[in-house]
Amino acid sequence: METDKVQVVVIGGGATGTGILRDLALRGIPAVLVEQGDLAHGTSSRFHGLLHSGARYAVKDKEAARECIEENMILRRIAPNCVELTGGLFVQLPEDDPQYADRWITACAEAGINCEEIDVQELIKKNPVLSPNVTRAFKVPDCAVDGFRILWGNVNSARRYGARVLTYHRVSAIHQSNGRVTGVELINQLNGQKRSVECEMVINAAGPWGGEVAAMAGLEVNVIKDKGTLVAYNHRLMSMVVNRLRPPGDGDIFVPHGTITILGTTSTTVDNPGCTKPGHNEVLELIKIGQEMVPELESYRLIRAFAGVRPLYQENSAAGGRSVTRNFALLDHRQRDGLAGMVSIVGGKFTTFRLMAEKTVDLVASQLGVNAPCRTAREPLTAPVSEELLERGKKVFGVPGAKKAAERLGDSFAQVVEQAEKNPDKGRIFCECEVVSLAEIEHAAHSGDSFTLGDIRRKTRMGMGTCQGTFCSYRILGALSGYPQFAGNHREYLTKFLQKRWKGMRPVLWGQQLREAQLSTGIYCTLFAMERMR
Amino acid sequence: MSSDHRLALDNCIKCSICVSHCPVARVTDKFAGPKQNGPDLERFRLEEPAAVHPSIGYCTNCKGCDVVCPSGVAVSAMNCRARGEYVSLHGAPLRDKILARVDRMGRAARLAPSLVNRLAGLRPLRLLAEKMLGISAAMTMPRYAKKTFLELYKPKNIGDTGRKVLYYPGCYVNYNAPEVGLALAEVLAHNNIRVEVEQFDCCGLPLIANGLLDTARDQAKKNLAKLQGYINRGYDIVTTCPSCHLTLRQEYRELFQLNTDPLHEKMLDVFEYLSVLLQQGKLVTRFEELPLQVGYHQPCHLKAAGCGVPSREILQLIPGLRVADLDAGCCGLAGTYGFKKEKYAISQAIGRNVFNAVKELGVRQVISECGMCQLQIHHLTGVAVYHPLQVLAQACGPGKWLAK
Amino acid sequence: MNKYTDVLIIGAGLSGLMAAAKAAELGKKVTLVAKGMGAVGLSSGCIDLWGYNLEDPNQVCQDPLAEIARLCAVNPQHPYARVQDVLEESLLFFRRVCQENGNPYLDHRGGNWLLPTALGTLRPTYLAPASMAVGDLQQVRGVLVVGFRELKDFYPDVLAANLKKSGVLQADCPLNTLMVCAGGGELTPNTLAHRLENPAVVDRIVDQIKPHLLPGAVLLLPPVLGERWDSQVAKNLAEKLGHPVYEVANIPPALPGQRLQQMLLHHVKGQGVEVVIGCTVNGARVADKRCTEVLATGAGKPIKISAKTVILATGSFLGGGLESKPGKAWESIFRLPVEIGHEKWSARDFLSMAGHLFNQMGIKVNEHLRPVDKTGEVIIENVMVTGANLAGCNHPIEKCGNGVAVASGYKAGKLAGEVGE
Ligand SMILES: Cc1cc2nc3c(=O)[nH]c(=O)nc-3n(C[C@H](O)[C@H](O)[C@H](O)COP(=O)(O)OP(=O)(O)OC[C@H]3O[C@@H](n4cnc5c(N)ncnc54)[C@H](O)[C@@H]3O)c2cc1C
Ligand SMILES: Cc1cc2nc3c(=O)[nH]c(=O)nc-3n(C[C@H](O)[C@H](O)[C@H](O)COP(=O)(O)OP(=O)(O)OC[C@H]3O[C@@H](n4cnc5c(N)ncnc54)[C@H](O)[C@@H]3O)c2cc1C
Ligand code: SF4
Ligand code: SF4
Repeated sequence: METDKVQVVVIGGGATGTGILRDLALRGIPAVLVEQGDLAHGTSSRFHGLLHSGARYAVKDKEAARECIEENMILRRIAPNCVELTGGLFVQLPEDDPQYADRWITACAEAGINCEEIDVQELIKKNPVLSPNVTRAFKVPDCAVDGFRILWGNVNSARRYGARVLTYHRVSAIHQSNGRVTGVELINQLNGQKRSVECEMVINAAGPWGGEVAAMAGLEVNVIKDKGTLVAYNHRLMSMVVNRLRPPGDGDIFVPHGTITILGTTSTTVDNPGCTKPGHNEVLELIKIGQEMVPELESYRLIRAFAGVRPLYQENSAAGGRSVTRNFALLDHRQRDGLAGMVSIVGGKFTTFRLMAEKTVDLVASQLGVNAPCRTAREPLTAPVSEELLERGKKVFGVPGAKKAAERLGDSFAQVVEQAEKNPDKGRIFCECEVVSLAEIEHAAHSGDSFTLGDIRRKTRMGMGTCQGTFCSYRILGALSGYPQFAGNHREYLTKFLQKRWKGMRPVLWGQQLREAQLSTGIYCTLFAMERMR
Repeated sequence: MSSDHRLALDNCIKCSICVSHCPVARVTDKFAGPKQNGPDLERFRLEEPAAVHPSIGYCTNCKGCDVVCPSGVAVSAMNCRARGEYVSLHGAPLRDKILARVDRMGRAARLAPSLVNRLAGLRPLRLLAEKMLGISAAMTMPRYAKKTFLELYKPKNIGDTGRKVLYYPGCYVNYNAPEVGLALAEVLAHNNIRVEVEQFDCCGLPLIANGLLDTARDQAKKNLAKLQGYINRGYDIVTTCPSCHLTLRQEYRELFQLNTDPLHEKMLDVFEYLSVLLQQGKLVTRFEELPLQVGYHQPCHLKAAGCGVPSREILQLIPGLRVADLDAGCCGLAGTYGFKKEKYAISQAIGRNVFNAVKELGVRQVISECGMCQLQIHHLTGVAVYHPLQVLAQACGPGKWLAK
Repeated sequence: MNKYTDVLIIGAGLSGLMAAAKAAELGKKVTLVAKGMGAVGLSSGCIDLWGYNLEDPNQVCQDPLAEIARLCAVNPQHPYARVQDVLEESLLFFRRVCQENGNPYLDHRGGNWLLPTALGTLRPTYLAPASMAVGDLQQVRGVLVVGFRELKDFYPDVLAANLKKSGVLQADCPLNTLMVCAGGGELTPNTLAHRLENPAVVDRIVDQIKPHLLPGAVLLLPPVLGERWDSQVAKNLAEKLGHPVYEVANIPPALPGQRLQQMLLHHVKGQGVEVVIGCTVNGARVADKRCTEVLATGAGKPIKISAKTVILATGSFLGGGLESKPGKAWESIFRLPVEIGHEKWSARDFLSMAGHLFNQMGIKVNEHLRPVDKTGEVIIENVMVTGANLAGCNHPIEKCGNGVAVASGYKAGKLAGEVGE
């Protein structure tokens, strides 16, 4: 069995884990991040994509609200290519308690969140999808944030400082001796091989799996797994985030994300942290509630539904964890359970991942005797793409193709543009719905962290648009058949990819998406007879 | 964004049927395709209006994509808007600005139409225009008439049937082919119906096709107001140009969100108008024998109107006349498109099918409702090309409507 | 605007076009309106009849006609049970029309062809255009898969790898791949097909292929060999190479299905059928169980059409014949009832061997193709329903889509032709 040595092992390739890896790397602490799937396998790709202004929490949880607005401002600065400056709206409907609005205005002011009342008539005129019954409306600094990009931004930044990442490796055991963690055992999820890593410190950033990981070290961490379903509309319904001005509830936020709009979310407690099956009934429920704000909602096309599991930490009085805020919890297991070399970070939001990482690494660094300060709030995640490069990109990929690729690729954009300039065949758009070029797809395939078509999908957005991969998956399989990792079992690669897409489409199979499904089954079954493929 | 404004964007299932039927994408790879320019990029344009493919100028606005799309996506309207966006960002070449103003060209040519015609035939001059302006030297120029239709037309005093008809001739008939307008008057007079005429603005299609949407919108509003006035006074409006017709009825709504509903009821292609008479038993069906075999070419914009071929039934009433459908798709000229140097070859390649069909059927005369199609078919094949009304007028009486 | 006709066909898919061809042949005045093009243009262009054995759905069926007879006995709800009487006749008619138009369709000694696809899978089908009809792959002495650099959707290596896995070739059969260039650029299959109509381009392709030809090899190419249904490109290429050349089925856009669609459109126009594409039917007036008028629009303009017989060839959800909302499905023009069966519209697995319920939804008809309610009572007497709009067919799994369309379209046309004055 292969053995490795490193100072810190971070478990979990979500926002929190990758944020921690970057913070460790910037402070010069050697670390490796271990993730059982691809990056963002967990909740960090199955969320709403709202970079909270904090306004949603202002009334209920001022501290959380303050954290949000602070982190919101930091992320805009350090990761402009991951944040879409949409701005957000809070709209009140006649059935909402008018007094709540007043409380909310005061609370926002106290939390330092800029909220500005706007003229309702003007608003409706500009956004005719909104209900004409809106009584009051306010603008807040909400944004849309791209989870994949933040995660890859964190990892790429950390790698520049020497950190390592092992995707498709699951931590199967945590070794300890004499009350100290000594290392972890990993299983390669693609080939089943085991390896171990010796370390001084393990950081459990496994999100909804936090309880399971803690249990490997014989610890009890009580993570409540709260599943939320979200739906994606085929187009941008509105240009701003739209929230309902009332105490937070289900189905009351629309987030425009590039080409699509995400509506969510529901909330149900589940046992399995990997339970990401969106329910048909939850989808219908969402539409029903969403309709109050957007009356014509039923006539808009849904392309898929998906679900994520919120890791909510519940303080276990017996164990007595150290709660940093009510929002997230940092557990020092040396103090809490007498096991040195292990900390768990649980709960929180995507928006506050950097802060969670900072607090976690502050604790870890002090235990390791490192006193370098946190730099993650100041140092940009990626260097901005120059105007000149963008113009070159537009020549080969067109306007949206180049802009989107630049946002996704950040520092690597130059390489991809060069590829396409050198070989025009590579500039061809392979995913036509999301305008992704072959050059970018090959770049993703080359990167060393892509093992399935799904990995390429997450990095590039190929297959995430209207046709849900019907056309591009087949095409990309062919284009990549020269790569050893995609040369093998075509049936399996294609089936897996199509099946993942199917899981998201099934809960929304009516109207246009049902037509799309007939086209898709027509192609893969009627025409290719793939159901009987060997 | 209301559902109407989205031009049925959500309906697109990416089946690519529009791509396989686009006449331009068929013959060249310079154009990214209707789906790619239309519904694909439209999703991006909701965020970034500049998300327009530079190949957008290669779309001829033939509307073939709209016709074949099984999902009701208004692909060509998306493309027209995108072209408008592109032109407003990058500007239009002088050549396009000139070609798009067919009304101004017509008025300018008024000063000395025969001179203009002669100059248009001078090879060195044409080569110069190709070099300086990018106007193809190879394409046959439309000839200007000695007098415009509005100058030539004198309403006859005929028995009153109580029917009020206003004719929207369009620029081509007015400046280049007044005989079509006169044929219309003749045919309606044959039915004791008097035609009123009026000075209109150009429908704006050449402007739309060249991305000059603001000017087109102004003209649209003026035209629509005028037409509405006539409708209010109980007029039926007839047209002879399928492109003007479709622009007034459909583009005004899809591109400028103007209410064109009244036109759906009250504006008719002249043959539709005659069909209504026929159905009411009011059409004078006394026709002279016309022993002719003609090929019929259906203009794209008539196809796009989704009402069939209105002349079909009426022409069947003419004894001796045999009409064979060329069924050869787009002729390729697309208004100003085929005159552009960089597009001439594409335009001719598209039109090749029409050439083949004329040869295959062995017809020596072709009829087609659109003036531009007439020009292109003549350019491609050398055969005589007429508006079906000219054939009908010939069957109505003694005048001489068809050349020998 | 009003139109009057004997037979109104709604839908320009395979079943609508078959109905039009037959009714026109029987001397009726026929009008065909459609909102857009049908699914046949997206299909392989082959006419599937019945792919696999009823007992063993993994076994390719050797005698589709006999298997359909058995099917009708065990599953009288299948659309084939309504058209069994004309099945063979309809296929003969179809083949005659194709033959007359220079696009011959071939059968495989009454059994199924087993034709390769671009994915390297094999699909059983009953009739194939001559350009696709690869004989017995078991017998070939070599295969050369040729792709074009200009295409995004055809990968010889994928085809070859999976064809090998399928086990249909003899173990020692040489299987090679080759990429050729037809002048460069990024081409759609249609643009490439257009380019290949130029003999000089074909010559350049021939030069590139020749050095790679092994004796006895059969060539498999993407479905781009010629634009029109009567194109000679495939034939010329084969002659110049001295080797048989075939097109394989591929993801749309692909030419063979489009050629069939264009051929049939051209044919029915030649038969005097008035064809109006881009015309959407939104509703109808029905009185005393008879459709008196169909309400349509063309580019926004209302059109009323009266006909003695109306043939509803509007397809399934994809074509637009059926529409749906969560939990509800209905026929789009007459609001005919659509039986849903059970709650689960789709199977958990995309590639489920049972298929998906949504592909089987449709309208129930009697043996005259008249729509019937639950009790078997005719709902509208002068309306017939055809093709993918019929309930109970599962073409993605059964491989019978175009077959049902041909037979039901033909039967509707024939019945409409028999309606008296
Ligand atoms: C429906 C929904 C909507 C949301 N919307 C928002 C929003 O709009 N804005 C916002 O700020 N927040 C939102 N959140 C919250 C936010 O998404 C989460 O708080 C955040 O993504 C959690 O990140 P994480 O890194 O802690 O966990 P995760 O992203 O789940 O990462 C944990 C990772 O650990 C890995 N892992 C687990 N066990 C092992 C093991 N044994 N070995 C190796 N790896 C392992 C998992 O595979 C996983 O990738 C939402 C949450 C949900 C569910
Ligand atoms: C991708 C794909 C591949 C396939 N491959 C094969 C194959 O290889 N072999 C095979 O045998 N079968 C295949 N099939 C199945 C087969 O093609 C179809 O089942 C068959 O063509 C259906 O024909 P249809 O005429 O019944 O309906 P459609 O082809 O769906 O036609 C419906 C027509 O009705 C029109 N229409 C609908 N609503 C209205 C309205 N309200 N007003 C006016 N017009 C309207 C539509 O525009 C269209 O013209 C395939 C299907 C698909 C989707
Ligand atoms: S616009 Fe229409 S024809 Fe074109 S891809 Fe979309 S659905 Fe198909
Ligand atoms: S309008 Fe004509 S040229 Fe333009 S995209 Fe549509 S089909 Fe092609």
